[in-house]
Amino acid sequence: MTDTRQEALIREAIAAEADQAVDHRSVLANLHGKRSRRRPIALFAAAGLTAAAAAVAVIVPLSVDRTASAPPAGQVTPTARTVLLIGTDGAGNTDSIVLARVGDDGTTSAAWLPRDAVVDLPGVGPARLSSAYGRAVQRVGGPEGDRAGAEALTGAVESLTGVEVDHHVTLDMAGLVTLADAVGGVDVCLRRPVRDPLSGVDLPNGPVSLNGAQALAFLRQRNGLRNGDLDRIVRQQLFLRALGAKVVGGGDPARLARVVEAARSAVRTDPGWDLPEFARRLTPAVRTAIIPLGEEVAVGLEQGRAVDPAAVRAFAAEFFAEGATGTPTGGHSIPLPATETEEPGRQPSERDCVN
Amino acid sequence: MAHVTPDWFNVARLPKGFPTATRNRQQAEGGDVPADYDQFVTERLDRLLRYATALTCDKHLAQDIVQDVLLRARQKWARIGAVDAPYLYVKRMVTNEYLSWRRRRAARDVSATHVSLDELAPAVADPADRHAERDAMRARIAVLPRKQRAALVLRYYEDSTDAEIAKILGCTEGTVRSHISRALHTLRVNENTPSEVLR
Repeated sequence: MTDTRQEALIREAIAAEADQAVDHRSVLANLHGKRSRRRPIALFAAAGLTAAAAAVAVIVPLSVDRTASAPPAGQVTPTARTVLLIGTDGAGNTDSIVLARVGDDGTTSAAWLPRDAVVDLPGVGPARLSSAYGRAVQRVGGPEGDRAGAEALTGAVESLTGVEVDHHVTLDMAGLVTLADAVGGVDVCLRRPVRDPLSGVDLPNGPVSLNGAQALAFLRQRNGLRNGDLDRIVRQQLFLRALGAKVVGGGDPARLARVVEAARSAVRTDPGWDLPEFARRLTPAVRTAIIPLGEEVAVGLEQGRAVDPAAVRAFAAEFFAEGATGTPTGGHSIPLPATETEEPGRQPSERDCVN
Repeated sequence: MAHVTPDWFNVARLPKGFPTATRNRQQAEGGDVPADYDQFVTERLDRLLRYATALTCDKHLAQDIVQDVLLRARQKWARIGAVDAPYLYVKRMVTNEYLSWRRRRAARDVSATHVSLDELAPAVADPADRHAERDAMRARIAVLPRKQRAALVLRYYEDSTDAEIAKILGCTEGTVRSHISRALHTLRVNENTPSEVLR
């Protein structure tokens, strides 16, 4: 390896390490106490990452569906399934947590659980929900660590929501790079050119097809955005929709094969889950919500968000009920930024141009 | 203020030539937090967190260190805000805190890195290869001696000059060059070692 090449690699490696840094807004909130009014947006950002995780977790089965052989005879009657989607940053940290229920008719309802939600962990006491994963990974260690983490987090989510989880799916965000490349680029539209050395994003305005590396930068950029994290969430939601459209609308068997391969390497599931069986029932209809959230509270040195378990359970029961539509009262919603021409609260579509 | 009193963390170890007070401030200590502290934090927090994360290879430890340092800096802002380069100064506080950190350091972050690397290793596509290579380098940097790692991060992430690195690490430029050259040598040797976990 030449010196120049080694130095380039060192720069990349250190920059990647630096990219693991916690969101500075949450630290700002700690430093400023209650003075920060931007804190809720940081929570939305965590949920936004999950959108990307959810995209892959939904897309994987869809792609499997297209390429799998015909269902075996005597297939069991489909039943509703509840799945926990866990987005990790590749270093054992949970960035996003989504509880999704796929009904008999294949429609999906997905509730975002902010990773900062403060829950009562067995043997620990009050702690941030996401720490359930990391604690188990540390305790168990080795190759079994991730599975132990996913199972510990599943337990914590079950006791918080009162919903029994059938399966869990873990997605490494880095896997999105391969996935976006596998579909031959994801189409998005930008309102204005963006350039940010921290995330490495450098894109023109107007419609653009993102390759894997560009997609990751696009999803990670927070600095220099007019509405900060809120813009980032909208980006992730649109990316999800655009990625889904690309996968479902393609019809190119070779490309689908690449997608399945990419998705398989990015996603880990619990053992014994028959993904193709699950996939055959999925439809692209997805309903989303965030669980009810309370006040900001301190957990040790960190900032967390109080949740009322009774309110969460009531919300989950209503949201995940068979045949439910809309969003029950009490849940948080992710609004679009109120711009010059748009009404706040409108749901984004994949044809929207974003900041 | 013409003079920085050496009565708190690391001020006594400021090397000769570190830019000190040249501007007069009228802020009373212990009073309201000065506005330029807020401005400093707003502008520099993200950068400091990233720098500390690159140093420690542990984002939670990095958060603890940066929070800790900034809270102490706030109490002493009348002094720090008066130096020519507050960012350099605070960065030095962060670096010293990292170099003297005794707690929470274990093999766990390194082993966690290796777990994810094992998963990346079998991938064959070019982008994945590049990722695996980069993450392998991350893992090798994470096990360098602290001062070498600090020197490396300052040069290759902060783009600091040898003179700046010397000020921040509190050593001579010769020592800085020695840290970096030893780090580069270690990284190159490990790169070629077949027993390396990733190779």
